[in-house]
Amino acid sequence: MKKIIISVLGHDRPGIIAAVSGVLMRSRCNIEDVSQTILQTEFVGAFLASRPEECGEDELLAALRDALEPMGLSVLIKPVEEHGEWASPESEPFVITTMGPDRLGLVSGITEVLARFKGNITNLKAVFRGGDNPEHNVMIYEVDIPVAIDQHAFRAALQERAGELGLSASLQHRDIFEMIHKV
Amino acid sequence: MLSEREILSVLKMLRSEHLDVRTITMGISLFDCADDNVKSFTGNVREKILRHAGNLVAVCEGIAVKYGIPVVNKRISVSPIAVAGCRFDAGEMVEVARALDGAAKEIGVDFIGGFGALVEKGFTRGDRALIEAIPEALAVTERVCCSINTASTRAGINMDAVYLMGRTIKAAAERTKDADGVGCAKICVFANIPQDVPFMAGAYLGVGEPDVVVNVGVSGPGVVKKAIDRARESQPDMDLGRLSEIIKRTAFKVTRVGELIGRQAADALGVPFGVVDLSLAPTPDVGDSVGEIFQSMGLPNIGAPGSTALLALLNDAVKKGGIFASSYVGGLSGAFIPVSEDSNIAEAAREGKLTLEKLEAMTSVCSVGLDMVAIPGDTTAETIAGIIADEMAIGVINSKATAARLIPVPGKKAGEKAFFGGLLGEATIMPVSNAGKPGDFITLGGRIPAPVQSFKN
Repeated sequence: MKKIIISVLGHDRPGIIAAVSGVLMRSRCNIEDVSQTILQTEFVGAFLASRPEECGEDELLAALRDALEPMGLSVLIKPVEEHGEWASPESEPFVITTMGPDRLGLVSGITEVLARFKGNITNLKAVFRGGDNPEHNVMIYEVDIPVAIDQHAFRAALQERAGELGLSASLQHRDIFEMIHKV
Repeated sequence: MLSEREILSVLKMLRSEHLDVRTITMGISLFDCADDNVKSFTGNVREKILRHAGNLVAVCEGIAVKYGIPVVNKRISVSPIAVAGCRFDAGEMVEVARALDGAAKEIGVDFIGGFGALVEKGFTRGDRALIEAIPEALAVTERVCCSINTASTRAGINMDAVYLMGRTIKAAAERTKDADGVGCAKICVFANIPQDVPFMAGAYLGVGEPDVVVNVGVSGPGVVKKAIDRARESQPDMDLGRLSEIIKRTAFKVTRVGELIGRQAADALGVPFGVVDLSLAPTPDVGDSVGEIFQSMGLPNIGAPGSTALLALLNDAVKKGGIFASSYVGGLSGAFIPVSEDSNIAEAAREGKLTLEKLEAMTSVCSVGLDMVAIPGDTTAETIAGIIADEMAIGVINSKATAARLIPVPGKKAGEKAFFGGLLGEATIMPVSNAGKPGDFITLGGRIPAPVQSFKN
């Protein structure tokens, strides 16, 4: 068995997951993880599956294209490496929330700071709807921050960057949200 | 994965609804500091407080930053000094108060509580010395707080102690008359005092408590008010049963914050975690008021008919939500209605819409009592003792903590303003009705026997 990651992109419509999972089932590929989201009108899906030896990767890709291209969807398959180049250091989970008017370079500006301090984004939701309501222009990053970095310097750099971008930003340990909302 | 709604609701509570941890209070037992010599005792006390709480403020501030939750106050509570220093006379007790004040300043905490005594059934030598020392001790210190337990459901009411406290409060007011009697803002007279209160001025560390412990007081009247406002806006016909559910859920969230922050602080300081005190503790800031909750729930103001029922609902819902949220709940746990510390309550008192008598009635269903009530400076010790005795009776009969923190403001009359500063706020002096020539009820003294509900064995 080999692990593969399949990504599917395109205009959202009913039947996308059914089409992908149908092909995988017929090819004897077992789905291990799925994540999908919809950004405005666009479907984005990622499927992590195990592929039996008898099912060739090219064969599977062809079958997926046959099923998905008529629906206007693109598909990509990549083998999952057993040992990636990056191994996660000891980290603590934080949530960064920014609010402020939309402009070019907000995601890039914040993520540059995260990358510089080796913070790894585990989940990101950014919504920019325009207008003055701060809740309509929000970025929420769930980030693993390495324990070993200078937390004070990271916090200062993040706040400085947020200020430059005209954003208000908060950085809080994830546990506070878990404690308040999860029983 | 956290939802966007969950994250934004926490931020809203923090940014516009005053969600915070009101106090992290480290309790430190001073029994092992005992010594016949006051210099040795105060030396031991200072050393022990600095050893355990030297980095309390820094640790709490670090945790506040990490979780993005303000920890407004960092405080110390100690063993009742009347017990730990029972060999000292009144002059020496003042020295102890100075040492506590010095230690508090050295480590940067704003209050240190426990300059107190437990006299519900009678006095020891140390109790008498401590009470005698109170006016001077509170005049020469800034951060020392004092609590005297004069009654309990099991013991009844020590009326000699009640009268003595009436006279002591008068003396403390006189001794701090240049500051509107602010000394009295740091004296709580209690019935059924809990051993683990983290809130001032009543905080002390009970004799059955660990050597060192961290107790947490949460707050959150602003969060509760906004939750009620939102619920009523989205559903104008929401009834009181549903509203109490809203309060309960909100209290759960607020308490969870206290539980997390308290445990983190205890771990970082290497001491056991004690309790979360679930109180709704207001500040003079607009939007951080218990009084405003009364208006959100549909009364014209706190003090209007219906206020006692509303407070009963509020207090009960806060407890129900909080108890589910924390493994260890203690302290006072309920809604505070401190007149001067809550600008909305202070305003109702100023306009005469909240009277002392109505306030007293409300204390039968809330967690504290007559709290931060400024009264005319010419109120006699006997009348003050009478007010205290009434408050003690409410606590004793209902098997609950009650307290009186009364400030007879020297040289000022009903309707004038008293200014205490900072968290203690300012208050319009409330009239005390029927305060004419006292009879001899108070001066008869003795102990009012324990009520029938105390016989539970």
